[in-house]
Amino acid sequence: MKQFKILEKKDFPQFIKRLSKKHKVVAPVSRGNKSYAFTQVDSSDQIAMKYIPTILPPKKYFMPQRETLAQYNKSKKTFQTVLEFEELVIFGVHTCDLAGIQCLNIVFSDTPKDINYIARKNRILIIGLECNDYCDEYASCKVMDSHHPNGGYDLFFTELKESFIVHVNTLEGEGIIELTGLFKEATSNHLKEREGVIAAKKKIFKDEVDVHYKDLKPMFDKSAGSKVWEDLEKRCLSCGNCTNVCPTCYCFDIIDEINLDLDTGYRIRQWDSCQNEDFAKVAGGESFREERGQRQRHRYMRKFSYPVERYARHFCTGCGRCSRTCMAKINLKETINALAKENR
Amino acid sequence: MSKPRVAFFDFACCEGCQLQVANFGEALLDVLKLIDVVEFREVMSEKSNEKYDIAIVEGSITTNHDIERIKKIRNTAKVLIAYGSCATIGGVNGMKNNFPLEKIKKYVYNKDANYFDTIATKAVHQVVKVDYFVHGCPIYQPEFIEVLKSALRGLPYKVPDYSVCVECKLNENECMYDKGITCLGPITRAGCNSWCINNGNICYGCRGMVTNPAKNAQMDVLDKYKIPLDWIKNKINMYNKAGEQAPEEK
Ligand code: SF4
Ligand code: SF4
Repeated sequence: MKQFKILEKKDFPQFIKRLSKKHKVVAPVSRGNKSYAFTQVDSSDQIAMKYIPTILPPKKYFMPQRETLAQYNKSKKTFQTVLEFEELVIFGVHTCDLAGIQCLNIVFSDTPKDINYIARKNRILIIGLECNDYCDEYASCKVMDSHHPNGGYDLFFTELKESFIVHVNTLEGEGIIELTGLFKEATSNHLKEREGVIAAKKKIFKDEVDVHYKDLKPMFDKSAGSKVWEDLEKRCLSCGNCTNVCPTCYCFDIIDEINLDLDTGYRIRQWDSCQNEDFAKVAGGESFREERGQRQRHRYMRKFSYPVERYARHFCTGCGRCSRTCMAKINLKETINALAKENR
Repeated sequence: MSKPRVAFFDFACCEGCQLQVANFGEALLDVLKLIDVVEFREVMSEKSNEKYDIAIVEGSITTNHDIERIKKIRNTAKVLIAYGSCATIGGVNGMKNNFPLEKIKKYVYNKDANYFDTIATKAVHQVVKVDYFVHGCPIYQPEFIEVLKSALRGLPYKVPDYSVCVECKLNENECMYDKGITCLGPITRAGCNSWCINNGNICYGCRGMVTNPAKNAQMDVLDKYKIPLDWIKNKINMYNKAGEQAPEEK
C-alpha cells in the first residue's frame, strides 16, 4: 500500500522553516518576468509554488556548470581526484524534471560510472510537486509521459484544497516527515480528493503533437535528409541556449587549469553544447557538424532516437525549456509536427 | 630562471584596462612573483629602455606615428599581447571609421586640423602580428590572468568562439530579450563570464563577434522581437567598426 501523509497548507511555512534549519533547501524562486530559478530558501514566502520550468533545470545540482574533478602538483608529480558534493534538499521539482534527473542517473551510472555525479546524487533529497495544470503552451509533457510522477523522488506533494497530500517514497523521505513533525495520516477523504485531482488532469493533458509516443523514434530515424533541418539551418543562431537549459543534456568539456604559481593546478569539467561552433571540431580544425542544421538534427536525435536505442528511454521530458528559451523561436512541438507532416 | 621582463604600452585608449590590471588586488602580488614589470606608465616612472620579453599593448593604432611605434615594439618583444577592445578589435575608436577621415579631422581639430596626422582606426593585429588577445572593454581580470599564464608557459590561449548567451545561461540570468531589451549577447564571443548581464546591464559587443554570427537568423530574431535593424547596427558600430575602412568623402 502506498504511504500518504497530509500537510495542512497553514503548516507549510513551518515546514519550510523547520526543514531549512536542518538542511540546505533550494526551491523555485521568481527571477523577474516569468523566469524562475532554483535558489536557496529559508522561508516559504520566497518560494514560487506556481512556476513554469526554471531557467536551468535541477541538473545544475547534479552536474554543476563548473566542477573540479582533480588537482595536481607538477614538481611533486602528484595527481589527486577531487569529489565535490553537499547535502541538499530540492523542494518543488515538477514531474518533467524528475524524469530529467532519472535520465541523467541512467547515463552517469552506465559504465564507466561517474563517481563525481553519484557522490552528489546520493546526498540530494528530492521533494516533487505535482502540476495540476499546464505550465504554458511550450510544454509537451503528456506525449513524453512525464506529466505524472514515475518515481525518482523522496517525497511527492500534490496540492489539494486545504492541504498537500504527500507520497512518502523512501526512508530519507520519511526522515523529513519525522524531522519536521507536521504531518498527519491521510484519510480516505484525502485519498478521494487526490483521485479527483488526477482525474481532472487526465482531462487537461492531451498529446501535444501529431505523433504518438511510440512513433517518435521511427519518424526521427527516417528524418536524416529532411527539409526540416534545412529550415533550422537558416534560423538557428547556435547560441547553445536550448541544450544548456535541457534537463537531459549532459555534454561537458574537460579543462586543465593552472594556478598562478605555474606549478599546481586543477582539472575541471564545464558544460558544453553540441550547438557550439567548436563542439565537433577535432585536431586539424575539421568539424564533423559544421552546419547549424546538422547540429540541430543531432540535438533532436539525442532526444528521440539514440537514447531510445541505448537505454530504451526518450531523453525529452517535454518540459518545453528549449522552445521557451530560443530567441529564434525554434519550437520542439513545431519541429515534430513539421516532420510528421512530411511523413504523411 | 630569471623572470620575464614585461612592459605595458598604450596607444589610443582611455587607459582603463591598465587600471584594471593595477586593480587586480591580491592576485597582483602573485602575478608580480612571476614577471618583472619594467614599464607601466600608469603605475611607475621607470622605463624599459627597450629591453623586454613580453609587450602588453592597450589602445588602437590611429596615426602613422603609432604604426612606427608598434612595429618597433613588435621587433623588440618576443611575445605581444593585445588587451582591451581598442587594441583587439579597434573598440570605440573605430567609430571614427563611420566618417570620411578629413571630415572627422575637421570636426575634432577645426582650423588646426592640418597639424594632426590621423589614419583610419586599426586594431593592433591589423598592423603587426599579435600572439595573444584579451578582449573586452574593459578587460575581464580573470581572463587576463588566464592569458598571462598561457603566455608564460608558451601555450596558446583559445578565445571562446561561442556567444555570450552560453555563459549567460550558465549563470542563469533572465534573458534581456524576455525583458524586451536588445542585447548583443547572441553575436558576441564569450570569455567575460557574461559580466555585464550578471550585473543587470546588456551586452554591448565589446569582445567582438563570433566567427560565424548567422546573419540571416539574426535578422529573423530582430523581426520577431520587432527590433529596428538600426538599433542593432548602432550598437554593433560602437565597438566593431575598425574592421572596415572609413567611407570616401562625398
Ligand atoms: S536556442 Fe535556438 S538559436 Fe540557440 S542554439 Fe538552440 S535552436 Fe539554435
Ligand atoms: S528537448 Fe526541450 S522539451 Fe525536451 S527535455 Fe530538453 S529542453 Fe525539455
